[in-house]
Amino acid sequence: MNPQAIIPSPDALPLPAPVFVLQLLLQLTFLLHLVAMNALLGGLLITFFARLRGRGPDDPWTGLADALSKVTPSLVAATVTLGVAPLLFLQVLYGQFLFTSSILMGWGWFSVVVVLIFAYYGTYLQSFRGRALGGGQVPLLGLTVILFLWVGFMFTNNTTLMLQVRKWAPMYFADARGLHLNLTDPQLWPRYLHMVLGAVAVGGLMLAGWGRARLTRGDGRGTFMMSTGLGAFTWFTLANILFGLWYFLAQPGAVRKLFMGGDGTATALLGLGLVVGIVLVMVGFMLRRQGEHAGLWPVGVLTAVQMVTMIMIRDVARGGTLGVHYRPETFAVRTQALNLAIFAVLLLGGVGVMVWMLRQLYLAWER
Amino acid sequence: MNYPVWQLSMGAGVLMAWVSILHVFVSHFAVGGGLWLVVTESRARRRDDAQLLQFVKSHSRFFMLLTLVFGAISGVGIWTTIGLISPHGTSALIHGYVWGWAMEWVFFFLEIGAALVYYYGWSRLDARTHLLMGWIYFISAFMSLIIINGIVTFMLTPGGWLENHRFWTGFFNPTYWPSAVIRTFGGIAIAGIFTLMTAATLPRGAFRTRVTRWNAGWAFAGMVVVALAARWYGASVAVWRDEEALLGAIPVLPVVAGWFKLGIIVTAVLALIPLLVPRVWNKGLVAVLILCGLLTMGAGEWTREAGRKPFVIQGYMYSTGLLESESPVVEAVGMAASAKWISPDAAGDSARLGHDLYLAYCQPCHTRDRYNGLAPYLAHWDRETVASLVPHLQSMRALMPPWYGTEYENAALTDYLLTMKPQGEAAWPTDPDRAGELAFRISCGLCHTVSGFRPLADSFADMDADEIDEFLDSAGDIAEGMPAYFGPPRQRKALIRFLRTMNRETAAAGATVAAVGTEGGRS
Repeated sequence: MNPQAIIPSPDALPLPAPVFVLQLLLQLTFLLHLVAMNALLGGLLITFFARLRGRGPDDPWTGLADALSKVTPSLVAATVTLGVAPLLFLQVLYGQFLFTSSILMGWGWFSVVVVLIFAYYGTYLQSFRGRALGGGQVPLLGLTVILFLWVGFMFTNNTTLMLQVRKWAPMYFADARGLHLNLTDPQLWPRYLHMVLGAVAVGGLMLAGWGRARLTRGDGRGTFMMSTGLGAFTWFTLANILFGLWYFLAQPGAVRKLFMGGDGTATALLGLGLVVGIVLVMVGFMLRRQGEHAGLWPVGVLTAVQMVTMIMIRDVARGGTLGVHYRPETFAVRTQALNLAIFAVLLLGGVGVMVWMLRQLYLAWER
Repeated sequence: MNYPVWQLSMGAGVLMAWVSILHVFVSHFAVGGGLWLVVTESRARRRDDAQLLQFVKSHSRFFMLLTLVFGAISGVGIWTTIGLISPHGTSALIHGYVWGWAMEWVFFFLEIGAALVYYYGWSRLDARTHLLMGWIYFISAFMSLIIINGIVTFMLTPGGWLENHRFWTGFFNPTYWPSAVIRTFGGIAIAGIFTLMTAATLPRGAFRTRVTRWNAGWAFAGMVVVALAARWYGASVAVWRDEEALLGAIPVLPVVAGWFKLGIIVTAVLALIPLLVPRVWNKGLVAVLILCGLLTMGAGEWTREAGRKPFVIQGYMYSTGLLESESPVVEAVGMAASAKWISPDAAGDSARLGHDLYLAYCQPCHTRDRYNGLAPYLAHWDRETVASLVPHLQSMRALMPPWYGTEYENAALTDYLLTMKPQGEAAWPTDPDRAGELAFRISCGLCHTVSGFRPLADSFADMDADEIDEFLDSAGDIAEGMPAYFGPPRQRKALIRFLRTMNRETAAAGATVAAVGTEGGRS
């Protein structure tokens, strides 16, 4: 069956802004979501590791797990809140694909909501009850980690299945009960693991940053945070270069060609990603040797550059995979300029108020 | 049509109802509860009431755990669910209102942030700053409600948007303001209900009595305003003004609208108990009050959802995804050619075609034997009956979306529907009255009521049994859109008896007889 025949037609209502504006907002808000998600998932995996390593209440691993557990619920809030916007813009631009793949994996996609609620409450239980959970603390944390990994796995399933338009018809006409997953896609596992390992790396860097902030305030526990965080950052970034190569090799041939000279921008992005990845690993090893005196700003900026690069590579790969099936030039556009302006003003004001609120809390906490 | 359909055996509407009703109850609490927190905290600080301040603090923990976790995630759950069961509707809403959703997201973002700062700031922030955080929280939550209200009400009453497709025309639609009042004060009532729950966990004494009365005031006052605004809301829905929908054109509508009204009264009366006699208030009564509030909210949302049948967006898009403007094209080319998700095998395979047509056009609202189940009807129908009904689906009382099947498509759908017919002979009531009601419900009652929408009460007033029998023989020739009658002798006899007697019963029982066929024909 010709896949083009069943790809849903673009919505009859026009886009309320030019495609590039919506693309920009999609990438920008996805970056923010990714930062929060990395802090959450990476932090959770590090917490779990620390909890397993911790031997008694005075063990620094236990202290680290306790400290991380306290902030995890707020990271869930940030991840979910910052995830809503990119999902919205993704649906506007790629709704024909995303809605279809969501329906094909209906129960799996719906499970995200239920699982997330339980996982979220799991983090609050860890945060509020902490050591009072006794022997249940590690199993509960383990379960919470599994639930969050499940959520991520469903997202990866959906974002890969939405690109596999040739699979849709056979899947749907074989069974329409929403029980499919995209397990046979060679991209699935490398893409998922690339995201998870990346989360631990970036989460590790943030942990190192937190350790540095503690050290600045004269809190000696920051040293352990820094060394643990930098260790996670370095080793997981190194591993992720290999997983990234696996992910690249799992791409369809046409997409690989784009990155191998077929398209100048795509090739440059891949080259940049590879070089920055290697530099980050080298810098990571260097910083680990410097210990608590290590300067984190340059590596932080470089990591941000790497995240932006990865997001752009993702976008190019998505475009390359969909190929002729995705033709944004066929979308009708009727820009709602006033509404766009109201949104922009609200967004700027909202960010300002948020920064002010967090600053008030921080200053009060400092006092 | 444009999208595949999730084949949910429980029914798409049931899943949506579970997610949305639970979410809406908690999300309204998130708004009203936010106001309760800042007003009650101000009151406690103004009066230097440490006990009350401690109560607010302990309640804020419950508030945060319920609204930030369940409330926020189930809100995302609504997005997820409507995307699964009505992708075409979701797509239309985000194309028309993406900036509305984006503005709402900013307030959602602020709301969550402010709630966390408010909660974690109890022991860290000074009183003035803490209260300010509470106000930022409430204003953000309220603005979130105000924006979503515009988009939700647009679906039922798009008003002038149908002509100009302008954002603000659809946003400030005819039910915008009454709905905003209902939702705001509904939130205030729910805040009272949940704080009555927290109060019921306090040790008995003067403080518990005082705080119980204070919270009950919120619940009662909120419900009173909801009751007044609900009348305003009902009068604002243009398609309800001709009363067709309320008289049985949408069978479930009068039922759920009735539950909504009853729920408002019962909840308000229950809230009076802790207001007048706070000492008797206990956890059991709290449970009853929460349940009543939840059911009332559910009935209200169901009324709104049912009220726009058979549309997702009234006058613009049907629940199958068909645009009203596309109807002439579909009529010209047929149903299969208008749907993308019909298997290529269906071209030479009637059974496959019937299955795929059912999925595309029936499954969005119906199930086999659960919500809006077809099996209870099919149990009493033979092939001739189903075949005579299929071409006239859009004439049915549930106000179904247009069906323009070709002869081949009608036959394929008929065959597929008959595969859903329960095995064995269907049970038939022994009581003649019940048999008559059932016979009516599975034949004439599909399109008519006794004395409400398309009433039949007067049509058979002067006919005897033989004349009605003769009439049934020629039913298919009476008017275009009227199917022939093929009921077997037992059903036919019961139907004749019902048609002969209904006029007398109508006169005796008044409009209540209109409910015959309404209860069984839920849409």
